[in-house]
Amino acid sequence: MIARASNRNVLMGETMSVGSPVTALCSELERIVGPENVIAHRDELLVYECDGYVIEKSVPDVVVFPTSTEQVVEVVRLCGSRGVPFVPRGAGTSLAGGTLAVGGGVMVSLTRMKRILEINLRDRYAVVEPGVVNVWLNRALAGTGFHYAPDPSSQGACTIGGNVATNSGGPHTLKYGVTVNHVLGVELVLPDGQVVQTGGVAEDDPGYDLTGLVVGNEGTFGIVTKVIVRLTRDPEGGRTFLGIFDTVDQAASAISGIIAAGIVPAALEMLDQLMIRAVEEAFHFGFPTEAGAVLIIETDGLEAGQEAEAEAIERIVEAHGGQVRKRIPWRTRKEPEYVAIWKSRKSAFGAIGRISPTFCTQDGVVPRTRLPEIMRVIAEVGARYGIRIANVFHAGDGNIHPILLFDERDPDQVRRVLEASHEILDACIRLGGSVTGEHGIGVEKMSFMPRLFTAESLAAMGRIRSVFNPEGRCSPGKLLPGGAGCIERKTPGRKASA
Amino acid sequence: MSEALGAELDLGYGRRGTRVVRPTSIAELVEAVGTIAAGGESIYPRGGGTALEDGGAAEGPGVVVDTRGLNRVVDYPSGDMTITVEAGMTMARLGATLAEWGQRLPLDAPQAERATVGGVFACNHSGPRRFGWGRPRDLILGVGFVTSDGELIRGGGRVVKNVAGYDFPRLLTGSLGTLGVIAELTLKVRPIPEDSAFVWASYDRWEEAATALDRLNDSRTRPVAIELLDRRAGRSLGLDWEGDPQGHWLLWVGYEGNRAAVAWQVEAVRGELGGRTGVMADERVGRLWSGLNELTAAPGSRRRLRANVRPSAVARLAGRLAEGGWAVQAHAGSGIVRAFESLEGIETRDLAATIAAVRADAVASGGNLVVESCGEEEAQELGQWGAPRGDWELMRRIRQALDRRGLMNPGRMPDIVGVGSGRF
Repeated sequence: MIARASNRNVLMGETMSVGSPVTALCSELERIVGPENVIAHRDELLVYECDGYVIEKSVPDVVVFPTSTEQVVEVVRLCGSRGVPFVPRGAGTSLAGGTLAVGGGVMVSLTRMKRILEINLRDRYAVVEPGVVNVWLNRALAGTGFHYAPDPSSQGACTIGGNVATNSGGPHTLKYGVTVNHVLGVELVLPDGQVVQTGGVAEDDPGYDLTGLVVGNEGTFGIVTKVIVRLTRDPEGGRTFLGIFDTVDQAASAISGIIAAGIVPAALEMLDQLMIRAVEEAFHFGFPTEAGAVLIIETDGLEAGQEAEAEAIERIVEAHGGQVRKRIPWRTRKEPEYVAIWKSRKSAFGAIGRISPTFCTQDGVVPRTRLPEIMRVIAEVGARYGIRIANVFHAGDGNIHPILLFDERDPDQVRRVLEASHEILDACIRLGGSVTGEHGIGVEKMSFMPRLFTAESLAAMGRIRSVFNPEGRCSPGKLLPGGAGCIERKTPGRKASA
Repeated sequence: MSEALGAELDLGYGRRGTRVVRPTSIAELVEAVGTIAAGGESIYPRGGGTALEDGGAAEGPGVVVDTRGLNRVVDYPSGDMTITVEAGMTMARLGATLAEWGQRLPLDAPQAERATVGGVFACNHSGPRRFGWGRPRDLILGVGFVTSDGELIRGGGRVVKNVAGYDFPRLLTGSLGTLGVIAELTLKVRPIPEDSAFVWASYDRWEEAATALDRLNDSRTRPVAIELLDRRAGRSLGLDWEGDPQGHWLLWVGYEGNRAAVAWQVEAVRGELGGRTGVMADERVGRLWSGLNELTAAPGSRRRLRANVRPSAVARLAGRLAEGGWAVQAHAGSGIVRAFESLEGIETRDLAATIAAVRADAVASGGNLVVESCGEEEAQELGQWGAPRGDWELMRRIRQALDRRGLMNPGRMPDIVGVGSGRF
């Protein structure tokens, strides 16, 4: 028997009995995707009450797992005929509540659409279903001389469909660009069930760049059911350096020095002292726990000419008061020492779990040259609110990720974390940056949109959304504050501390 | 008054605007566009006038909005490798500004002394370097544009990573002025490479060139440009070049980077390609880059075609077009085949049928074929915008959403987004 999901949602107030809306919807969904691909039991639904952003929660009424584009079409048509909102979800690694089922409704999980449909090395593309995990594609490509470049830190879990929704980045975007630079086309199921293909295997189709527009839509245009991604040639090899600095300022000035020398590294990542200690405790990579900041600097490409670049980088690090503690030359990104250093970086969030019960990862951007200022703001805000903040981030892009440590059982800490986060993001705007570099607006940052964009610009974005999603039934309450089809709200669900 | 003023009214295809406005600030642009639109007149944005006949002819009377008075650097934090400029700045001035800091926008645009940054992005123009450095969509970070509502709309931002809001920068790239007048752009820039060189190879038959392109796809080297030219296009380059004059097909493989890397690659790729090859690494390299760049506008040609296909189909399509007498320049690594009329002319008998046949091949090869420029009277017959696509309906609705009065550059993309007021 199917238990009732929640008492707050669109189908709210209905008990789960034969003839109730939820039951009727579930049986229709079961007809479309099969009973094994529908979840409506309260206990099982709890997994889907939030994503990586744990501060707000809202349980969907039902989760459905379509296995084909045709099933997605039928599901959204059904939602349309019932007037039920729906929200697409990949692996749920969003850190901004991008997959939160605001107001309940149907959650469309794409994790069972997980086939790699085609790999074409000559024409340098792959066609994948949205549920393909980022790292799977690169596993399939291993040994071919090609790879898919965007590598978010959560690449072991996050899906390519989710990457498309949020225009994900990762540590190597400095040189290789973000998701949108590597997506050639998508198949999109619009909320009315129409299937549209934008772009294709060839570049520059006539007309507007709809692919560029769809990437980063955060699920507010419809459901992406296929993605055509570009494949990139593997580098011949590279060098990964561990630079040690006494202060964050020194590390930041070394970055400026590298850029000023005309070197564009493949990655430039910074960890501050609290982060270094957490990572070292967890992974024992050999990070010096007394250092004020660590830079992971990576160059890649052809062997020819790379040694000269490596020497230049070492000189620059030293000129800015730093010291190159490790220098790892590699031929592939699979070598043990290479894997270890990046595991330390990409699993930093996991390491934090060892020193704090809950944490909130922020995502802000400043011009790279303003990094020292924003780091001072973060330190000051943390001290003032009594919140410990660790930093690990894409320094080369100016994309900061302060991690605010707290205990979600303490409502006062939750409040202070939210306020401190907002102050940091306000400072990002003040310094000429943005409130999100790669995680998205989701539900978390909607209130910042009027500070980033004028009312006219937001209204224009609203009209664009209405082109795709006129009734606002797909991913309501996301990305744009207010507007057509959106429920005006302060909090979509209960607080984590509730 | 002056000849210059007359020239500003030129909209291509013999069309002229009823008058011209030349705002010198974004506030003035907003004001001007709002006033024109309130009067119900069409708006024809115009930069340097280098691509007036890209796309369809102006549809009905309207006012020319000349953006060249908007030519300031708004912000250039070179350490961030970004620059924000007003849209009417010329590509040449942008290049000079960046060069002072050892940087550049790695985007090819012909007639850089005239072409404006806004115009190049509105036209989505690119050239040989796109293979290594990306297309306009890969280089734009932020945009400000003025709609026919008289509103300044912004998207993106000034930082290299930013996912807040919908991607107006990419939507406006290639929109040919049909959504609004681009006022300001933030762009990603790169260091000027230390060194540059070309390797050439020549072939008698396109099939041999196809084999070479296959080989280049797996090359140990990392070319930033792979240009395939037929003999006619090669001659248009007007280069004093001692290479093989016999081959019908010329492959130019371009490298940029540090000295050691360029030197190694030039040698390595010659070994990989085999056959008749040579190197150009002296002072002519710069002239070759600019020659290949200028060729993309095919100066003096009445008709220009552009096919976009999967890269493996490039040589075949190029071969078909060359057989029909077209001069062919392909950005082979990127799947772009350009064809234009050389002095020898093309076979014009059954032109529409010939183009339709090549287009069918392009569509079957995953892309399309557009007629970038042609006589106005034949535009419809030749199918200017290519084979209709399933996403054009969405584009039409996007235009209606942003250009609610239907006044922006009517006639440019008629097949795709309709022409203009009342005719959506």
